[in-house]
Amino acid sequence: MFLARRLVLAHFWVAFVAFTAAIVLGEWQMFVRSPLSAWVGDAEHYYRSVTAHGTVMGYVFPTLVAMGFGYAITELALKQPLIGLRWAWAGFWLVMIGTVMAATPVALGYASVLYTFYPPMIGSPFYYLGVVLVVVGSWVWVALMVINLNAWKKNNAGKPVPLAMFGNVAGAYLWAWTSVGAAIEILFLILPVALGFKDTIDAGLARVFFSWTLHAIVYFWLMPSYIAFYTIVPRAIGGRLYSDTMGRVAFVLFLVFSMPIGIHHLFADPQLGAGFKFVHAVFTAMVSVPTFLTVFTIVASVEIAARLRGGRGMFGWVKALPWSNPMMLAVTFSFIMLGFGGAGGIINMSFQLNETVHNTQWVTGHFHLIFAGAIVIMYFMVAYDLWPQLTGCRPLPAALVRSQLWLWFVGMMIMTLPWHWVGLLGMPRRMAYFDFSNPALDGQAWTLVAGSLGGLMLVVSALLFVFILARARASDARPSPFSFSTAVHMPATTPVALNGFGLWVAMMIALTVVNYGFPIAQLASLKGTSVPAISVGGR
Amino acid sequence: MQPRSMYAWGNPWFRWSVCGLVVFALLTLLVGFVWLPSVQDDFTAKGVWDGICRAAGVPREWRAPTKSADAGPRTTDVVLTSTMARSGSGDSTGRGGTLAIQQCSMCHGAQGMSESGAPNLAGQYPEVVIKQLHDYKRGDRSSAIMESLARKLSDRDILDIASYYDSLPRAKPAAARVDERGAPALVRVGDPLRNIVPCMACHGGNEHKLGAPWLDGMPKDYLLGELRDFASGARRNDSYGQMRNMVRTLTPQELDGVAEFYARREPEAGKR
Repeated sequence: MFLARRLVLAHFWVAFVAFTAAIVLGEWQMFVRSPLSAWVGDAEHYYRSVTAHGTVMGYVFPTLVAMGFGYAITELALKQPLIGLRWAWAGFWLVMIGTVMAATPVALGYASVLYTFYPPMIGSPFYYLGVVLVVVGSWVWVALMVINLNAWKKNNAGKPVPLAMFGNVAGAYLWAWTSVGAAIEILFLILPVALGFKDTIDAGLARVFFSWTLHAIVYFWLMPSYIAFYTIVPRAIGGRLYSDTMGRVAFVLFLVFSMPIGIHHLFADPQLGAGFKFVHAVFTAMVSVPTFLTVFTIVASVEIAARLRGGRGMFGWVKALPWSNPMMLAVTFSFIMLGFGGAGGIINMSFQLNETVHNTQWVTGHFHLIFAGAIVIMYFMVAYDLWPQLTGCRPLPAALVRSQLWLWFVGMMIMTLPWHWVGLLGMPRRMAYFDFSNPALDGQAWTLVAGSLGGLMLVVSALLFVFILARARASDARPSPFSFSTAVHMPATTPVALNGFGLWVAMMIALTVVNYGFPIAQLASLKGTSVPAISVGGR
Repeated sequence: MQPRSMYAWGNPWFRWSVCGLVVFALLTLLVGFVWLPSVQDDFTAKGVWDGICRAAGVPREWRAPTKSADAGPRTTDVVLTSTMARSGSGDSTGRGGTLAIQQCSMCHGAQGMSESGAPNLAGQYPEVVIKQLHDYKRGDRSSAIMESLARKLSDRDILDIASYYDSLPRAKPAAARVDERGAPALVRVGDPLRNIVPCMACHGGNEHKLGAPWLDGMPKDYLLGELRDFASGARRNDSYGQMRNMVRTLTPQELDGVAEFYARREPEAGKR
């Protein structure tokens, strides 16, 4: 009952190999900026590396993980063969071709524009076309997820959609709509300039379109981890999911509220009115609601596991948790990082507090802690958990897995907490070097030393992760059938609103129109707002 | 009983979600566009509607008429675009050659390599020549000789002359590199704490930016003179004060070191 094995494995392997390469680049960046190394001679090399690191970690790695996990969920949760296997392979190859097409000009130094594009900088058109192909490949996945769910619903009328698939398709709809912003930016604003049809670009409008994608994309990255929280963690630690309904509510809230909030990335941009910045700040605050619901539900589920194991008392049950179980460790680490990262995020989204940390190293610390920390550690667990199904291997060695998780958690904390601190002191982000010989900066040098040591631990952890997966061999023992978490009360029926997406997708689009419609229309209709493009990577 | 349709008003999920979202969105808009601006004097100076417009990013008047717009010394009005950087046609180059031999070669050399302390122009990027000639023509860059010569040039003449100098082989030493021995730190890495970008980030070696001339082998007196003029503000035709901001905080020794470095890179016979 798992026919798409090779497809899922292909997605995961490419994702993890690209991830390992990009993490080495990240550590190199940390090292050359720190006082442990001389200043990087050619700052362009630094920005080239940042572009590659960001492009892989932002576009390629999480997209492939979400796609691969999505295909696995389709077969494992719906218990039906994946419809459109050939299309899925076509989507995979589009992502492959796109990745190579984007990576080549970046490696040659023709597209050191960072993964957020930053017009009016303009790099090689192949870079943007490559990113477009990656996105188009992922749209194939979106379509297949919807088709597969609809086929299942037709055969299972009135039955509740399994929670894993519900979250999966919520992520697919979210990605389909959020990627439209960057797609418009690339196709209509950047590419005409990159291909030489135009000399000028409306950088302000381009940034607004990118913000459309930029924030909701992180919730697309987050979906696989949240699916794992709800549908894998309780089962893996021997408990029950506290509430299936809460999972559905959290997923639809993400769908509605993660889209119309991107302007909180543009608080310092003069082309937008303060009113819209305020509105986006408020809606960003709303996205913390599904996260709070999730933390509550998962902690409750974990408590159930502890009490089933004989835990007693108000807090005494914590001791009874299966701490030697890697999943228990991972979810704990993930929540700690989510706590720090989320608190930092609430500071970022506050219109006034953001002034203090805007474009400082704080922001880099924030998104590494929450994405590379809280989210990616769950990607590891998804891979570990699925690996016996995918390769026919025995369960992976728990001690090795635990060391990998510890390294990742400790490395991430050592790297990102000093970044937060030094960001408060005003250290700007995106700098290739800092003059630590100056007494004004001298006291901040340790933060980058800590960062590169933390980064080194992350590299070791990533290599260990790949090693554990690569070493797994097929065994004679057939893996026990895969199961998702069972809820305390498994729903016999579900409210129709929580069994489909129509209402929530409509709300998502309506809110986008309310929150983005006017700024986009206004900026697009203003004359004389374009600026000369700055070509990057030579004349 | 479960309601059958998701979109029916009888479905409490639909009713409460839609109402809740609409009320929430309206309240947010009200706070963001009416209440918060109302406590800011500059938002509400001209009434509530004006405050709402300002909060939406649409001031009734984009620029209040002040005298500051045209006050102060002039800078440049040339907008650099990448079309200016394209090489001209053969026709244009030929015409430019005729003009240049007649009017420019006395100082800038018959082959664009000066022996009189004027800048070398052989192989100079076309957009650089275009911009400087326009600035001389409008009086945004001052030089008794160049202003009077440029005043007579038409736009076409300027394009042609730029195309001609672009076509000449630049006698250029190997491109400066960031790891070049003896290159001053300012040239290679700038000075982050003074907000000084490395020279090589625009003038070649690390990256070349539109409108930035190549400098290798230029006469030292010329380079030093221009740097000093940027530092003092006597020369101000750099877009957005790019050069003035770079050199304002440099010491005389640092100015000399940078000029010396670029001048020392002696031109040799070679190809562009």
